[in-house]
Amino acid sequence: MRRFSRWYGAGPLHLLTMLGCFGLAGYAAAELLPNNPIGIAVWFAGAVIGHDLLLVPLYTLADRSVSGVFRHRPPSLPTVGWINYLRVPVALSGLLLLIWFPLIFRLPARFSAATTLPLSPYLWHWLGVTGALFLLSAAALALRLGADRRAARRAPESGHRDPGPPAGSPRRAEG
Amino acid sequence: MKPRVKSLISSPPGPARRSFWRSPVRGPWLTSVLGLALLASIPVMFVTGLLSYAAYNPDLSPVNDQTPGKGWLGFYLFSWPTHPIWLYRLNQGVHVTLGLTLVPILLFKLWSVLPKLFEWPPLHSAAHALERLSLFLLVGGAVFEFATGILNIQTWYKFPGSFYPLHLYGAWVFTAGFVVHVALKLPVMIRALRSRGFVKELRTNLAATRPEPPDAGYLAPVAPAEPTISRRGVLAFAGAGSLLVAALSVGQSVGGPLRWTALLAPHGQDVASPDDFQVNQTAASVGIRASETGAAWRLTLGTEAGASTAPVTLDRAGLLRMEQHTASLPIACVEGWSTDNQAWAGVRLRDLARLAGVTRPSSVLVKSLEHGGAFSQVVLSAGQIMDPDALLALRVNGADLTPDHGYPARVIVPASPGVHCTKWVASLEFRG
Repeated sequence: MRRFSRWYGAGPLHLLTMLGCFGLAGYAAAELLPNNPIGIAVWFAGAVIGHDLLLVPLYTLADRSVSGVFRHRPPSLPTVGWINYLRVPVALSGLLLLIWFPLIFRLPARFSAATTLPLSPYLWHWLGVTGALFLLSAAALALRLGADRRAARRAPESGHRDPGPPAGSPRRAEG
Repeated sequence: MKPRVKSLISSPPGPARRSFWRSPVRGPWLTSVLGLALLASIPVMFVTGLLSYAAYNPDLSPVNDQTPGKGWLGFYLFSWPTHPIWLYRLNQGVHVTLGLTLVPILLFKLWSVLPKLFEWPPLHSAAHALERLSLFLLVGGAVFEFATGILNIQTWYKFPGSFYPLHLYGAWVFTAGFVVHVALKLPVMIRALRSRGFVKELRTNLAATRPEPPDAGYLAPVAPAEPTISRRGVLAFAGAGSLLVAALSVGQSVGGPLRWTALLAPHGQDVASPDDFQVNQTAASVGIRASETGAAWRLTLGTEAGASTAPVTLDRAGLLRMEQHTASLPIACVEGWSTDNQAWAGVRLRDLARLAGVTRPSSVLVKSLEHGGAFSQVVLSAGQIMDPDALLALRVNGADLTPDHGYPARVIVPASPGVHCTKWVASLEFRG
């Protein structure tokens, strides 16, 4: 048994679980694949690659670029956390686009003929919701800055604010 | 030779080095909270998905089965009930709305574990290799299922085949990866959840946020950057995404005065006339011609091939002279949208069975005037025929059916998927 574990890298129960998993997945795949093996393999692999090696690097890069560009901004911005007032509306708007881009870009050709509903409103709905998200975020930031300023006036000596990192220190947060 | 071997073993620069991953909020606790949310929700997706398949009664007849090769995967199938009348409406509303709501949680969860994709060495044992292969099924399957579902409800059929087999068999591949992942990670998740108090984390603001200590699971950073968001902030971020998506889509399933709130959902718009309600196939879109539904239209009532009784034919006036019943029933689509209850009026299916000479029908084959198409014919079960609310409807909400709602006659069966409530009915073939 010990020899097995050393060779395999885990206990026999692990191997059994794995075999069960691949047995079930293989059984389903045997029905799934024959219709269009290449198309489906491309979709499965494309799902993983598209998310892990495309979507995540892209949004991480965007996030870091914005952090970099705004690193030396007016001192009135809170030292830390301000980026979330930009990050959240952008990400939520992007999330809605990711889910609903076929409707927003009017891609389903037969939609209107089949449902009697027009495709035209979705782009405006998305833009409107995006605008509302940015407005809400701006209002929240304004409230936060106001509260910070009032707190600063009340206690000018005690230092209300987290000092944050020194100017030269790296701030490469991806999330 | 020795230095060369060493250089092969040590990780190359870039994402394979742990120091590359600097987010100070990544860590086993955060991953586990997101994982717990998925662990609670994915089984609901699984069960509502299986129920939706059962609602098509695929075992009743090959006509109903979009996935005849299912084999053992249909082990649980049962005859779909007709009550409560909102059963399918609720099931699909939950399946679709919950699925949409889980998208941000899934994205955050995948983000939180991304360093593991690049762990070094990539494979350190046979067990590890198998585990990584199962993760390919898990992640590939998850994105595949979400993508096919989300594209299907928008009727943008760009996936590599017919939706039903892709989504059903894909679900089983995903489930295989999911079950094995839960089995392997549940102890790790419980340990991580216990490592920090949930309420205490919710009280920890950005200034007080410290990274989780580096863990054996490759998640927490060894060289963390300064935090720009707290862990409670990340959870609020993901939760806000879920709430937003749900708020902008649930109205298409709730209906009534709330439908307009589904600003980003395929059936969030009210139809042009206030007395009217949603459809997903107009008469024109499936090629129904006015000449087929006019005065020349006849309903053929038959029995199984070879039976002694000759088929009965009825025109619309003849159907209207029969005993009329009213049933208040919704239309609920597999795509998740549904309508409020509509007042349908017409002839009971069981009365038509008796007229055809079958007092104890076991099933009925309903054929539409549609030319081809996966749902131009359907088989209903004995329970569905005998339900007093199961009608061949001629009128709805006090008026004749409109062409888009199935004029001259359509089937309406309580708790049945919309596509099984056949429109533009041409014949009913009862089996004893």
